Amino acid sequence: MMTCQAVAATASAYLDRELPLSRRAAVAWHLRLCPNCRAYLATLKRTIGLARKAPVAAPAPEVEDNLAALFRARQNSAD
Amino acid sequence: MEDEALLLARLRAGEEAAFRTLVRARHGRLLRLAGVFLRSRASAEEVVQDTWIAVITGLDGYAGQAPLAAWINGIVVNKARSRAVRDGRQVSFSDLARPEMAGEALDPERFLPDGHWAERVDPWNALTPEREAGDREVLDGVAQALDALPPAQRAVVVMRDVEGLEPAAICAALEISEANLRVLLHRARVRLRDAAARLVGATN
Ligand SMILES: [Zn+2]
Repeated sequence: MMTCQAVAATASAYLDRELPLSRRAAVAWHLRLCPNCRAYLATLKRTIGLARKAPVAAPAPEVEDNLAALFRARQNSAD
Repeated sequence: MEDEALLLARLRAGEEAAFRTLVRARHGRLLRLAGVFLRSRASAEEVVQDTWIAVITGLDGYAGQAPLAAWINGIVVNKARSRAVRDGRQVSFSDLARPEMAGEALDPERFLPDGHWAERVDPWNALTPEREAGDREVLDGVAQALDALPPAQRAVVVMRDVEGLEPAAICAALEISEANLRVLLHRARVRLRDAAARLVGATN
């Protein structure tokens, strides 16, 4: 039986489906029996989702306007 | 973002509103990606501007083989890399990675000598789906934690988890092995998880 420490160490590889089958099965078996590791894996996965949603600043209006002007210029030259 | 095929058709038809939508959705993310390679904010901004010009001129040739965001991400990564080389500021990610990979990803103190968790792992019931989708404090905090990661960890998590670049493309751009990519990614996620736990109000 894998220890919780070993499961935690391999958590990313498990989530990314990068473990060889035997190892993957060992983690899955551990997870069935261990609420702590289930919680760790689930919250690690949610963390990835949060990182994906982490906001970035919108472009400043003048930056957006400059880029839009470049877009218009290109359209006009293509016509 | 709206339906990709429709957006692309509107862009090709020269619809400025469609281009502005794309810029609003992607500009900040492109700056973050460029920032992986370029420490100077001004250089990153120039690279992103060049990227938009390449997008504008490349729209007709872009065959839609990759999703639009992936195509644009590929352009910015290439441009940011070459800019770093040209400025003589190319960072060696394998050098950066070495200290970032030392020791254990998770503090050994979190485990008992027999390998069990020393404390109950909080399942984050406090983070409801509604908070997960729209709690600015949590999401802004995660954004800050992302920026605060050590540089090689930040690079891989931004490229892989946030922007969804392919592992092979990431390894080529950063000149690191797939094994190092995996180690760095795990460490970055573990750190982000700890930061997120605090933001969520979980015990761990
Ligand atoms: Zn366990």
